[in-house]
Amino acid sequence: MLLDFDRLGAWKWVLVTITALVSLFLLLPIVFIAALSFGNSQWLIFPPPGWTLRWYRDLFADPRWLEAAWTSARIAIAVTVLSVVLGLFASLALTRGNFRGREVLRAFFVTPMILPVVVLAVALYAFFLKIGLNGTFLGFILAHLVLALPFSVISISNALEGFDKSIEDAAILCGASPWEARFRVTLPAISHGLFAAAIFSFLVSWDEVVVAIFMASPTLQTLPVKIWTTLRQDLTPVIAAASTLLVLFTIALMLLAALVRKGMKK
Amino acid sequence: MSAVTETTAAGNSERARGTSGWAYALPALLLLLIFFVVPVVGLLLRSVLEPEPGLGNYATLFGSSTYLRIFLNTFMVSAVVTALSVVIGFPVAWMLAIMPSRWASVVFAILLLSMWTNLLARTYAWMVLLQRTGVINKTLMNLGLIDQPLALVNNLVGVTIGMTYIMLPFVILPLRGVIKAIDPAILQAASLCGATRWQCLTRVLIPLALPGVAAGALMVFVMSLGYFVTPALLGGTANMMLAEMIAQFVQSLVNWGMGGAAAFVLLVVTLCIYGIQLRLFGAGRLGQGA
Repeated sequence: MLLDFDRLGAWKWVLVTITALVSLFLLLPIVFIAALSFGNSQWLIFPPPGWTLRWYRDLFADPRWLEAAWTSARIAIAVTVLSVVLGLFASLALTRGNFRGREVLRAFFVTPMILPVVVLAVALYAFFLKIGLNGTFLGFILAHLVLALPFSVISISNALEGFDKSIEDAAILCGASPWEARFRVTLPAISHGLFAAAIFSFLVSWDEVVVAIFMASPTLQTLPVKIWTTLRQDLTPVIAAASTLLVLFTIALMLLAALVRKGMKK
Repeated sequence: MSAVTETTAAGNSERARGTSGWAYALPALLLLLIFFVVPVVGLLLRSVLEPEPGLGNYATLFGSSTYLRIFLNTFMVSAVVTALSVVIGFPVAWMLAIMPSRWASVVFAILLLSMWTNLLARTYAWMVLLQRTGVINKTLMNLGLIDQPLALVNNLVGVTIGMTYIMLPFVILPLRGVIKAIDPAILQAASLCGATRWQCLTRVLIPLALPGVAAGALMVFVMSLGYFVTPALLGGTANMMLAEMIAQFVQSLVNWGMGGAAAFVLLVVTLCIYGIQLRLFGAGRLGQGA
C-alpha cells in the first residue's frame, strides 16, 4: 500500500533514505556556515585547523555592519506596521465588501508577489530616481511595503474568512457600535492572521536583497546589501559569522511563531 | 463566507453598508497604483520610447546572438532546476504526507528553516562549498572519484545546484498537500484488483498527484526565470541569466530602453505561465508561493 507508511515494505527504506538525504542536503549549507564562522582559516579551509571567535569580533568591531543591521531593522519594523494595517483594511474590503470587481482586486493585491522582483526593482529604481526617493529611508519602506503587502493580505484574508461574522453582528445587536465590535470582537479573533502577516512582512523586508541593491546609497544600506557588496569582493569568514547570526534570528522567529500558534490553539 | 449567507437584521444592514466596502481597500490600492503600476508601466514605456520611439530595442534584443544565448541559458537552467526539483521533491513530499508525524515534523522544520534562512547566507554557503578547494571537491578527491577538482562554481552547474536547493521546498510543500488529500482506499482498490506496486505508483499515485506536480513545477520554473541573486553569485560574469542582464542594462550600461525591453520580455513570459496555471488549476493555488 503506497499511502500506508507501515505497509510500504522494502520501498519504505528507499524512500526514507531519499528523504533523509534531501533533509541533509537542505541542512548542509546552514550547518556548514555555522561551523565555518568559528573556524580560524581565513581561506575557509574545512575542517578548520582550529577554532576562533575572531570573525564575530571583526563583525562587531566594524560599525558599518551594525549600522546596516540597524537600518534593516528600522525599515522592517516600519514595513511590518504599515503592511499589517493596510493589509487589514484591504482584507476587510475583500472579505466583507460587496462591490463589483472584488475578485479582480484580490488578484491585483497578490500580483507583486508573482512578478519577478528584478522587474519591480528596476522599475522602482527608475521611478525613485525621478522623484528623488532613491537612497532614502522612505523609498526603502515604500518599496518593501509593495512586496510585503500580498503576504499580509493573504494571511489576514484567510483569517477573516475563517471567522464567523455573525459573532460580530451579535455584538452589534447587543449594543456595540460597529467599530467597537470590530476592535473588541473581530480583531482578537483573527489575531493569529495578524501575527502571521506581521512575521511574513518583517521577514520579507529584512531579507530582501534585489530591490535593496538598487535602492541603496553609500550612506544608507541594509544588512543584505552589506552582505552582497562584501560577497562581491571576497568570501571572508566575517560573512559566515553574520550569516550564522541571521540563521539564529530566523530560528528564534520561527520558534516564536510556533509558540504563538500553540498558545492560540488552547 | 458567512457575510454572504447571513440574513439576520444586522447582516442585512452590514450588507447594505458593504456596497461601499471597497473604500477600505483604498490605501492599499493607492500604494500599489503609485509605487507598483506606475513604475512598471513607466519602465515598459521607456523600452519603446528610448533612445527613440519604436521597437528598436526589441529588434536588438532578439537580433543579437549574445542576448539570445542569455535567453537560452535562462530557459535551460530553469528547465533543469524544475525537473530536478520535481524528481527529488516527489519522494520527499510523498514521505512527508504519510510518515509518522514525529518524523514528519522534523523534516518539516528543516524545510521551513532552509526556506526562511537568508538567501544570501545560503548562496554564500554554496559558493564556499562548491569552490575548487571546497569541501565537495576535496571529499570527491579523497574518495578517489576524481583526480582534478571539478569546476562547480562560476558556471551553470553551480547555478543549477544552488537554485535547486532554493526551489525544492516550493515543490515539496504544495505537493505534500496534494498527496495527503488522496484517498488511500483508491490505492487499496488498485492493489486488490491485482496491480503491482509499480503499477500502483505509475498508474494511480503519480497521475493523481499530477495537478500538484504541475502546479509546483510551473511555479518553480517561473521563479527560476526571474531569479537574480543566486545566478549572479554562483554563475560568474560569463554565464549571465535574464534577471542579471536586466540589472546590468540599467546599472552598468544605463541603457533604460534595453533594460525595459528585457524586463518586458520577462514579464510577458511570467504572466503567460501564470495564465496557464490559472487556467489549469484555478485561482486557489496562486497564494501558495507564500
